[in-house]
Amino acid sequence: MAGKSSAAAATYSPSLTGQRKKRPPIQTDSEWVRPDGRGLHQCRPAFLKTGAVNSASGSAYAEFGNTKVIVSVFGPRESKKAMMYSNAGRLNCNVSYTTFASPVRGQTPEAKDLSSMLHKALEGAIILKSFPKTTVDVFALVLESGGGDLPVITSCASLALADAGIMLYDMVASVSVSCIGKNLLIDPVSEEESYQDGSLMITCMPSRNEVTQMTVTGEWSTTKINEGMQLCLDACSKLGKIMRSCLKEAASGPQD
Amino acid sequence: MVGLSLGEQNFIKGGISQDLRTDGRKRLTYRPIFVETGIIPQASGSARVKLGVTDVIASVKAELGRPNPSYPDKGKVSIYVDCSPTAEPTFEGRGGEEFSTELSSALQKCLLGGKSGAGAGIDLSSLCIVGGKVCWDLYIDGLVVSSDGNVLDALGAAIKAALSNTAIPKVQVSANASSDEQPEVDVSDEEFLQFDTSGVGRHYIADATTAEESQMSSAVSLSINRQGQICGLMKRGGAVLDSSMILDMISVAKHVSEQLIKRLDSEIAAAEACDDDEMEL
Repeated sequence: MAGKSSAAAATYSPSLTGQRKKRPPIQTDSEWVRPDGRGLHQCRPAFLKTGAVNSASGSAYAEFGNTKVIVSVFGPRESKKAMMYSNAGRLNCNVSYTTFASPVRGQTPEAKDLSSMLHKALEGAIILKSFPKTTVDVFALVLESGGGDLPVITSCASLALADAGIMLYDMVASVSVSCIGKNLLIDPVSEEESYQDGSLMITCMPSRNEVTQMTVTGEWSTTKINEGMQLCLDACSKLGKIMRSCLKEAASGPQD
Repeated sequence: MVGLSLGEQNFIKGGISQDLRTDGRKRLTYRPIFVETGIIPQASGSARVKLGVTDVIASVKAELGRPNPSYPDKGKVSIYVDCSPTAEPTFEGRGGEEFSTELSSALQKCLLGGKSGAGAGIDLSSLCIVGGKVCWDLYIDGLVVSSDGNVLDALGAAIKAALSNTAIPKVQVSANASSDEQPEVDVSDEEFLQFDTSGVGRHYIADATTAEESQMSSAVSLSINRQGQICGLMKRGGAVLDSSMILDMISVAKHVSEQLIKRLDSEIAAAEACDDDEMEL
């Protein structure tokens, strides 16, 4: 256990060497200091661990700064309701918040909306044909909401799916960017999210460089979208590597 | 969802690759749009939009309420979409519920912009009457009457038309706390949204019908305002997309939206003129 946590707690940030050159012109208009003292293009420290729940076929725990999420995966198992025969398997996603997840009790985001977003983000990455007639259930529980919840849930869910041995085309990594004034902030905390002008979230499969889900809110010009997308994709590939190493470690652990 | 034979599927796909779709449209042409405003007398504003066979109604109701303590100088807008099972049998029960939450969350993302209110289609601060005390609550309700693909675009157009038709009373707060109401003052809504659905193989099409939607691999819904800025983007459908393809779709959508905004403006103006004539009679 101790060995696992020490190596997995690594920080990641999108190709620092490339971004450093870009940073000065962005910061010129205001000396922005982020609440947790990070750089504009620096992600929160990520901690990932598989096997958080014993009874599930696969599970994962993710902690990105203050955002803490547990995802468990059940199945493939028999589809519960009287559903029609289908050649491809079904994916069922459910996101819920604990009552103490947010500063004000019970004031949590639309969980139904998040569930459908999670479904769309994962659907493209799972080889549904590999488990016909059956259903895979993905249950996510947000223990603490500290900003960027959906990206954390999505990344954690893909780790749990891999842990459960569900066939995937690739791991799914997700990162969001907030736009405040002229600045783009990667991996925003809730404080930053509450006064953002716009947000962009990308869910992608890093080694295939394909996007499974993308949402944009607020007003964006095409060049800004381009910049934001590049930032997210860079961070996604870093996060993908961390997720991969976490899985490898879990797999090699018992043999030692 | 749609039972199509293999021949029909190939016909649709073949037509799209040759830039001639089953109903004779080109890839990026919209179906004829029909707009009617002021159809619900009980609402502050309402509109009905027909896009081919797709038929939706949007209504706007305004109520006085208290602003959210975190945003004391802003009004509140809530958007709900109802998919009636009369439109399509699959809308009955959970199927309809899922589709309506998807539609309402997409519309909310595009219309209400970022949390700070930047880039929003509706100017929330114009809905504030007394900071921190009283504001307008706008309830925007959409109803899908008949569905033949591209419901989101039709709803977007209907909401735009309903908002331009909306008149909310002007409220003045005087010292002795009696409010004086004068009707017929318009709510301001400056920017507006257009959606564009694309997908199917390697080609992009706009305004897909249900049959075409069943054949597409993935769809992207974009909302673009008059200045050509992107106000919202949602990817729908399961299949993956290359990031360069998304940028490509954005530029295609920008081009299509310019024409659509023009057409919609003239349709709404015509519908409102028609509405005024009826009032005089």
